[in-house]
Order: sequence, then structure tokens, then C-alpha cells
Amino acid sequence: MIKEGKFGTHEAVCLITITITAKMFFTSPGILADILGTATWYMTLLSAATAAVGFTFIYLLLKRFPGKNIVEAFEASLGRFCGFIFSFLLAMLFMLNASAIVREFVEVLKVYVLPLTPISFLVGTFVSVVAIASFLGLEAIARYAKLSVYILLASFITVLILASQKYETFRMFPIFGHGISKTILHGLFRSSFYGEVLILAVVAGSLQGTKYVKKAGYLSLVLSGILVSSALLAFTLTFPYYTGAEITAPMYQLTAMIDYGRFLQRLEPIFLFIWFVSSFISVTAIFYTSASLYCKIFRIQDMRPIIFPFSIILFTVAMIPNDITTTATEYIHRSREYGWTILYISPLIALIMAIVRKKRGKKQNV
Amino acid sequence: MYRTALFILACCIFLIMLTACHDAHETDDFAHVLAVGIDKGISNKWRITVQFATLKESGGSKSQVTGGYETVEMQEQDGYAAITIDAPSFYGGVSMINSILPRKLNFMHTKLLVLSEDIAKSGLVGEYLAPIARYREIRRNVRVLISKGQAYEFIKENKPFFGKTLSKSMEQIVQECSNTGFFPNITLGDFYNDIKSTYNQPIAILASAVDGSSFKEKGSFWGDAFKSEGDYVAGQLPRTGGNKIELFGTAVFNGDIMVGELNGDETRLMLMARGQFKRGFFTMPDPMIPELIVPIDVRLSRKPLVKVRFEGNKPIISLKIRLEGDLLAVQSSINYESKELKPVLEKAFEQYIKDELNKLIEKCKGLKADVFRFGGTAARQFDTIEDWEQYNWNEQFENAEINTEVDFDLRRTGTMLKSSPIKK
Repeated sequence: MIKEGKFGTHEAVCLITITITAKMFFTSPGILADILGTATWYMTLLSAATAAVGFTFIYLLLKRFPGKNIVEAFEASLGRFCGFIFSFLLAMLFMLNASAIVREFVEVLKVYVLPLTPISFLVGTFVSVVAIASFLGLEAIARYAKLSVYILLASFITVLILASQKYETFRMFPIFGHGISKTILHGLFRSSFYGEVLILAVVAGSLQGTKYVKKAGYLSLVLSGILVSSALLAFTLTFPYYTGAEITAPMYQLTAMIDYGRFLQRLEPIFLFIWFVSSFISVTAIFYTSASLYCKIFRIQDMRPIIFPFSIILFTVAMIPNDITTTATEYIHRSREYGWTILYISPLIALIMAIVRKKRGKKQNV
Repeated sequence: MYRTALFILACCIFLIMLTACHDAHETDDFAHVLAVGIDKGISNKWRITVQFATLKESGGSKSQVTGGYETVEMQEQDGYAAITIDAPSFYGGVSMINSILPRKLNFMHTKLLVLSEDIAKSGLVGEYLAPIARYREIRRNVRVLISKGQAYEFIKENKPFFGKTLSKSMEQIVQECSNTGFFPNITLGDFYNDIKSTYNQPIAILASAVDGSSFKEKGSFWGDAFKSEGDYVAGQLPRTGGNKIELFGTAVFNGDIMVGELNGDETRLMLMARGQFKRGFFTMPDPMIPELIVPIDVRLSRKPLVKVRFEGNKPIISLKIRLEGDLLAVQSSINYESKELKPVLEKAFEQYIKDELNKLIEKCKGLKADVFRFGGTAARQFDTIEDWEQYNWNEQFENAEINTEVDFDLRRTGTMLKSSPIKK
């Protein structure tokens, strides 16, 4: 059994919330504005609610097999072969997501901050840091997430409050964007934006029991939903739907526009701080989960030797996209739109199969 | 062994990483551009002017180089220099200027984007603005000015009047709109959004270089006729002395084509309707003795109340502007401070603003330009973007019926509670 350390619900909530919300600092809001117009900010609440339903399947599956993580639950429910396939798909999805986020982060960094630095150097540096943090283990990452969450939250709220000088309420209208049915459909599909809540099921052993997984999962979904929705609302109020869709990183642009005269302007460094730290935590958590899934699938007891080869894979996959358009509209967009099939449907299938085949784990005295 | 290897590895990494960033630049590697001017070119499509700090004192000099397809003119002022070049594009021009400068142009501290009236009227603004809005160095807080006359001439006259800091001078002159309301505070972000807007039409700050011809030294005296302080546009203020540039009035666009101008008074009324008017001194004829005047310090007491409903396709708009102000002077010495006469002054001012506002609305309907942002309120009546865009507010605006209401409260009377008549 891999030793992943122990941490509490607070740390878990901080880790998952940061991992989910960090993605909003990149290209997603612009792409969403293109698809949904003015309806992005409440569409994401629908996505969070859908993710909560998806997480319920995961929780019920874990509850049925107390003390087991999702890999073991898949195997117990579906058998070794099918369980392997489901778990391996998850591991691949997490690795792809981590690579896509690294590339998206670096592309946006190149556009706004470091246009002359070679992309391989930026990706390489980022991956090295992620690898070192993963080497330290999940407990260290979770505790670092808790340590930084207060500063990140304070900076985030400060940015949103200061940007209020640019808000115009009329930009929320027409309120249903490109139509309520389109909003609902994308709200359901884009539930995979919140898919990192599944990390809790992978590292369930690090928490004190299934009920803590449940508590941490729902709480982080609620918090992430509120934070993402408020950021999207701020973005909608600042950029009208027709130009909002054009912007590469709307949150960065929003911060750059804050101007309270000569003594309070150019606040991008605050944003960069939130952006770097949260992206680092986010990618590390996703990358670690992928490696952890791999180790659990193949029953590898020590994860550390896996980190380096996985880092190479992370670097290589991150370098594959040709340009920022491919990264944003192909990799990121597709993983957000179709990721739910792997994230929520596979646990649902496993749960149904466990019920049909009357499989159940032994009750544990916690 | 393991720790030693790790220590050596860490030392090696620090040796490489802590020396310097390979793409780092020192501040003095750049020429920080403070203003960008854009005109139609003669030797090439665009005439681009950049003004930047040279950080040296000079008496002022001018040099000109003319080649086959390019003309470069360099004008040096005290501590600042302006280069004008004819180029095929903005980026092309930047590259060409970089080739003749020992420093690289940097636009991170740019304050003003000046477009010539010529470009604005020929509908080339959109074509030119898109690449500038995309450029990472140019912030969307840059103010957009439409220069009457050539943009490069405006920039040539753009010098610090107080002190020696041009950037501070530019920031302060733009901020003056909140004290006077004679011109709007329009940034590149606002302008770019509004060019593509389905809610309203764009506006920009009207600016001009001043040659002093508006000031008449000789002639017959004015007499008692009333002409408001805002009844001018940039370049027309009858003044001598001061700096050589003026920001006064508003350039009105339909899409990316400049279709008209608003003078200082009209600009203030437009800002009131948009809820962006901060404060300004208004001069109105005395309600009892019209040949005399009453100046009032006016501000918005609340955001304007805009309601839009539709009769068929026709929008019916009701606009209520709520103002408050302080009395600055009473030339006639009539006791308008008294409980009986205060409402007389308030009603007269309300009527004055309402009449002028109605005239402005008719003017803007004629220009087919909703500069008041009524479209923002109208959009609330539509469920989807498709419905809203199909209705096409910018085209329907000219058919709108607009009812105005002005509410004004005189709050304070300055340092005097009562006006006593002059004894003769």
C-alpha cells in the first residue's frame, strides 16, 4: 500500500478548491463567452451541481466498499480487467488534463508576461517544480494548499472588488445568452470542469473515512462553484459578450484594467501571484493523482521512482500542441466538454454493477 | 552520498538560475512611449508618431529624413522626443523606428492614443484599433483621443506645462474631466468594446492642438448676450497662454465612422444621461434678469433612472436625471437663497437642462448614435442574444420616443446664506 500521508478535511477542501478554480485564470472564460454569451456565470453553477451529482455516484461507490479507494472499488465491483481499464482511463485523463493546463498556463504566460522566453524552458521549469512537489508527497501538497489558500482568497477577492469600477450591469443582458437550452446543455457537459473532485476518491485513504470524503467533496464543489461563478460574473460585467470572447486571459486583462489614479493601478503582480501559486498547486495535484492511480493500478508500492518518468510524459504531452488555439479550443475545450464521460459515468457504471452483482465491501470500524 | 549529490545538483541549478534571466531587460534598454499618434500617411499607408522620454535636456531640434517609401521626422523637446514615420502598419512602423533608435520602443507606459479626425471620419478606426488592442504592451486604460487636425501635430504640442513630467501631466489633464465634464473619460477598452457594441455607439475624447487663432485681441466688446462656457469644441476656446493642447468635447461614432461632434455642454448632458457626470460649474441666465448669470456647481445626486418599453417595434424611453448643486454666485444680488426664491432657481435650472438635453437627444437621433447607453436598459427586455441582435438597437434608436425629466436640488449656497441688493 502506498504511503500518501494523512490530512484533514480542511486541507482536502483547500486542495480541491484551488485545483478546480485555478483553471478559470486561463482561456476558459473567453471560450465560454463565445459559446454562451452572457450566461456563463450561472451556467457554471449548473456544472457544479451536475458535478455534485457525479460525485454522489463516486461517494456511493466508495461507501459500498469502505476503506477502499476508487481503483480498488472499480476492481471489486467490475473485476480486475474492467477495473483496470476504468482506472487506467482515469489516469490518462488526469495526465492529459495536467499537460493541457501546463501548456495553457505557459501559453498565457508567454502572451502576457514572458514573450521572449522559450516555451520549452517555461514548460521544463514548471514541470520540474511539479515533480519536486510530487516527490514530497500528497500530504505536503495538501498542507501547502491550506497554507496558501487564505492569501490566495484574499488576493482574489481584492482583485474582484477593485475591478468593480469597470462593472456595468447591462452587460449581463440578455440574461439567457444564446438560449436557455444551450446554457443547460453546456452546463451539464462542462461539469468536468469540476472533475478534480475525483482526486478525493483516488486518495481516499489519506482522509479519515468515507464520510470525510463526502464532506470534503461537497464542500469543495460549493466553494469552487461560488468562486468560479463570481469570477465569471465579474468578467461578464466587465467585457461585453462580443469582445469578451476575443480575450485570451480575461482575468488577467481584468486586473490590468484596474486604475484608481496614479497611486493605484497596474495590479497584475497580485494576479500573477494568485495565478502562479494556484496553477502550481492545481497541476501538482492532478499530476500526483495520475501517478497515484498508475501506482495503484499496477500495485507499485513506492511512488517516487514513477515521478521522474511521469514528469517526462507530462513535459512531452505539454509540448505536443502546435499553438495556443489548438491548446485552448481542442485540448482544453474537448476535455471540459467530454471529460464527464470518464469522470462520472465510469463510477456510475461501477456502482450499478456492484448493486446488480450484489458486491459490497466489509464494514470497517473507524 | 544521496544528500551530497542533491546538494551539488542544487548548487548547479542555482549557479545557472541566479545569474540572470537570459531575456531580461533593464529599464534603460527601452524608450518608453507615452503617446501614439496615427494619421493617414503620404509615403506609406499610415503615419505613426511616437512620443517618448529621452531623459535629457535640449533646446529643441528637428531633423527629417526622406527615403523612397518612408519619411521619418524627429522632433526633440525638453526631455522628450517625438518620431513620426510613414509605415504600412503599426508594427511595421514600430520596427522601422526601432531600427533607427539605440533603444527598443516599449508601450507599457503609453497614456494616449491619438487618432486624426481624418482617419476617424473615413471609417478606418476599426481597421487600426484591432491590432493595437491585441498588442500585449498596450494597456486598455490608454485614453483614446480624436485630434482635430493631424495627430502628429497634436503630439508635437503635447508638452508638460507644469513641471517636467509628461506622463503625470497627461494623466492629470485626462482626469480633469471629472472636475469639468467637458470631455468624456474614454479608454481604449471602452472604445474598442463600443465599436463592436450592440448596446450603444462609441464616443471618444475630442482634442486639438492650439494655434492661438481663437483668441481675438481686438474687436467690439461682447455685450450682454449669453454664451455658455461649454459652447465650444477642442481648438475653439478663446484663450491665450497655457499649454498648446485642448481636450474639449466628444467625437461621436456610428460603428467605426465618426459622424459628429458634441461640444462641452452637450458632453456634460450626455455624461449625465450615462451616469458618468461627476461635477462641473454650469452658468445659466438669471431667471429674473436674463442678461445676468447664475453659476452653479452641479453634480449627479443619484444614477439616472432609465426605463425602456416597446410599443410594437418602437422604443419608448423615459429618462430621469437627478442633480444637486451649490450656488456659486448671484450677479443680480436677488436673494435666491431664500425659501421662496430657491424653487424658482431650481425650476429654471431643471428647465434649462431639460431643454438642452432634448436638443441633444434629437441631435444624436439624427446622427443615429445612441451615446446615452439606453440600449443597455433596452437589452433587459430581450431573452436571448439572437433576439436582441435581430432587433438591432443601433438602427432602432432613431425611432425612439424619449421623455426626459430633470430633478435639481440646490443644497448649499456657498459662504453666504443671503444675497443683499447693492445700494445705489
